[in-house]
Amino acid sequence: MTHEQEERWHDDFEPVEGNAAVKQKSTRTGALIALGVSVVTLVAAALAPGAPLIQQASAKPPAPMAFCHAYPDAKACNTGFADCAACHTTPPARNAFGMQVAERLAPGLPRPLSDEDFLKYLPGALKAVEDLDADTDGYSNIVEIMAGTQTADANSIPKTLACATEDATRAAGAQWNVCSYDAAYAFRKVHMDFCGSSPTRADMDGFRKISDQNTRLTRIREALSKCLDSAYWLGPNGAVWNIANAKIRPAHAVKSGENPGPVPLGDYDDDYNLFTWANSDDNDVRDVLLAQYFVKRTSPVKLEQISEEELAKRPRGTRQPVPVEKRAGMISTRWFGAVNTMFTSIPRTTAAQAYRSYLGFDIAKMEGLHPVIQEPMDYDAKGVAAPACAVCHATLDPLTYPFTRYNGISGGYSYDADRLKGYVRVDGARVADAPAGGMILGRPVADLREWASVAANSDPFAIKVTGDYWKLLIGREPDVNDQAEFSRLWRGLKSPTTYNYRVEKMLHDLVLTDAYGRP
Amino acid sequence: MKSTFTLGLAAAAALAAACATEPEPAPLQFAAEAPAPVASVDPRVKFKDGERYLRDLSANLNIPREEICKELSRYDCMTDAFRIVLGGVEAPNLLVNEPIEDAALTSPIAVDRLALHVCTNRVRMDKETPAEAVLFKAGAFGRDGRAKGPELAWLNSTADAIYGSVLLRSPSEREVQNLAAYYAQVAEGRAANNPDVAADWVTLSCFAVASSLEAVFY
Repeated sequence: MTHEQEERWHDDFEPVEGNAAVKQKSTRTGALIALGVSVVTLVAAALAPGAPLIQQASAKPPAPMAFCHAYPDAKACNTGFADCAACHTTPPARNAFGMQVAERLAPGLPRPLSDEDFLKYLPGALKAVEDLDADTDGYSNIVEIMAGTQTADANSIPKTLACATEDATRAAGAQWNVCSYDAAYAFRKVHMDFCGSSPTRADMDGFRKISDQNTRLTRIREALSKCLDSAYWLGPNGAVWNIANAKIRPAHAVKSGENPGPVPLGDYDDDYNLFTWANSDDNDVRDVLLAQYFVKRTSPVKLEQISEEELAKRPRGTRQPVPVEKRAGMISTRWFGAVNTMFTSIPRTTAAQAYRSYLGFDIAKMEGLHPVIQEPMDYDAKGVAAPACAVCHATLDPLTYPFTRYNGISGGYSYDADRLKGYVRVDGARVADAPAGGMILGRPVADLREWASVAANSDPFAIKVTGDYWKLLIGREPDVNDQAEFSRLWRGLKSPTTYNYRVEKMLHDLVLTDAYGRP
Repeated sequence: MKSTFTLGLAAAAALAAACATEPEPAPLQFAAEAPAPVASVDPRVKFKDGERYLRDLSANLNIPREEICKELSRYDCMTDAFRIVLGGVEAPNLLVNEPIEDAALTSPIAVDRLALHVCTNRVRMDKETPAEAVLFKAGAFGRDGRAKGPELAWLNSTADAIYGSVLLRSPSEREVQNLAAYYAQVAEGRAANNPDVAADWVTLSCFAVASSLEAVFY
């Protein structure tokens, strides 16, 4: 193990003291004990009366980290965590690979294994199944692990994307060069993706007459620059707008402002405009989480920031009541509170939606779990400390606390440091004890602004932003063969000397990738 | 990429099947198959979606976007009729935030309907205003209109116009031959120099190309 890997191992297991959100120094053993709380609850859930068919299987929250500790260079471990699907179908039920590992995991020891034993024996069990082929697709488990394909899915196999020499020669002279980056194909595709229509025949014929590859790439970049300002890309209901749909979740029935619905609560146009602004021109995409301003459309493709004076003069139904210093981009808007927080004291749906939309982690799928010791505290007496619930709520509840000071429909979408006192009658006295600080990605944060800052500067944020565009433009999630190009793009998005969080700069390189330009 | 004629053949077959009272048509004599192209090692073609499909046809066939395809002469084919199955979204009312992952069973039917709408429209407009014709141009049966069948030059130039307008490229020799051969089937049971036959051939040829994989995907 290298020193760097050792450091990461310790960082991954550094426990945090519950709702006080105080990070502690720790040894690996101490960390394991800390994590054991949530693991024990999960195992207990598996053994609970009525729990069907899971008595012999238990998912281990430390397992994704332990897997990547064993295989730090595996492609599935880009972010330090393997997906639950590496060993499970729906956790805790195991897939074929997980069952092979389980059979060789400390045989003879009584079940359930303690976390210490689990982590002690897991590397040996993984080693023991490396040369087996769980999905019988002809590729051994270790070959698939290192290639990044699924060990338990026979349809997921390592592929070589290179053409044979003879095919490459034939393809180079064909209408479509399917063996390498085809500039003419990419030129047309850029028009289609960013302008919403094909180039003219004259443009296409003119492009085909260019023989110099650098000139062709320059033409592609020029076409992209032009189309990035098109209404198809930037306008209402345009491509960027539609990326935001799942994050904003508009509902016309409760829209206020222009074109209002029958019960006008909030105007999601603010949210779409801010999203489009942060994703265009030379603007910083982190502002989707960090902006303390709002944006208006002055034409279908022109956006500009709104002054606070203008914002204050808005009609009541479209105001943004959260004060400037408490704003956190799109996760503190009137609309976000209206459709997510609504009337709840501990707005878990709000936090989960933010986590899913901007970091790509769906807690309902057990993604992005960072369980915190002594959590969930269940301040609002909703029963989330029950073993079956605690598996996710040990992460979700501390993730949620920073949202508890922001009102939804009740309270008028404003910020209120004493907001929870108003819920004592409904949720009990303890609800007022819920802290304003919380945890995200294993880091303590004092409030929502800090929550947003940690999120916006994280790897998962850059991966999610890049992934949204990758899916739109390539047509599917990045797969194992895309990892080199995809990784270069999201790391570049974060790098101050590469794209520095400018989406349009990243897109100029995305359209030059093989994934984009090879038919 | 598969030949554009694959779907055209299917369209012709479907059309023939629909005319159950007509005698079985003679088999078409197509040009010899070209060598199979190199297959993509990682194909990533994407569905154009209804809006981009109609925008392309609107620009290339010179029909205003808002007029190019209307169901019941009233509802826009994409916006109001087939939006979701053609890859569109409608978040505020239908809560469809993202395009459907896989094409619906009705997606190909909707694409065919758009293509037929557009091609029928274009040929109708060409007949109404011959001076501004885009696809169905005069001269099918010679200068005096007395030829017994379509002139080869007219067939070739029409095929070229269809491919150029819909796919933004010239047809290959084989593609021209195949379209020309298709004329005989369209004329089956009717006089080959009937102007309606010529118009039907242009409409169906346009439909065959506009519903091809090359036109629908990119």
